[in-house]
Amino acid sequence: METSPVPPPHGPAEQFTAGRRAAAAALAAAGSIERTVPRARDGRPLFPQGFAGSISHTGRLAIAAVVPGAETVGVDIEPTVMTPRVAAFFLREQERRLLLAPIGHYTARDLFAAKEAAFKAMNHIGTLGEFLFWQIDLSQSDGALIATYRGESVPLWIRSEADLSFAVAIRRGGSWDGRSRRTH
Amino acid sequence: MPDTVVKARQQIRELLVDVFGGPSFVDGVHDAVSLREAGLPSTALVALLVAMEDAFGFEWDDDVPPEALRSIESLAGHVAALRD
Repeated sequence: METSPVPPPHGPAEQFTAGRRAAAAALAAAGSIERTVPRARDGRPLFPQGFAGSISHTGRLAIAAVVPGAETVGVDIEPTVMTPRVAAFFLREQERRLLLAPIGHYTARDLFAAKEAAFKAMNHIGTLGEFLFWQIDLSQSDGALIATYRGESVPLWIRSEADLSFAVAIRRGGSWDGRSRRTH
Repeated sequence: MPDTVVKARQQIRELLVDVFGGPSFVDGVHDAVSLREAGLPSTALVALLVAMEDAFGFEWDDDVPPEALRSIESLAGHVAALRD
């Protein structure tokens, strides 16, 4: 996992370049000889074979995650505070009741990042077809946060800072072997 | 083009200005262009969809097809279809 600051004026071009810089660093750290990440026609970053990866950025920071051998990876960073109205849109009633504080341990921003990261990790599973990120279900099992859509699941890791939520989903060959952790 | 579609497109553009930091993004986006591919963040898309519920008086179905949310054109078409 690597980060890169987005320089002024913090626009789309600067965000794109910072994302590719973070991706190149993450690929280097993972042992990849190939460090470039071209853009697919749909905008998706194309990581080298055998080095699944994902990129996310805000106007100030880009982050990239690479997991050698994984089937897919999804990462998301989210700075936007979610209003209750927006949370009610992208979270189902059960997700709000069980996962948000005070019963749960997450903020709405954490769970938005979680669904986005899971979507990136699951979006190109051929059997799932087209779907929207908020249609993914979030649940907990033995303290682990899990994203599920049409029978496919992926584990999530969440990190929550004062001004930023970060989530990563790693799919290893159609099953998951991890546990989510929320850290401060 | 039906008048309801024209009005819906204009209203969606106004909502986009409100939820995505001014007119600079909206002014550069054609009605048929993918909003996500044009650079609209997912947070802004969700804010737009919530604003549309309030402005047009409906609720998005859980199983809304992704293509309905692709562009200003498709969003306006969805609104117009609901009103027909």
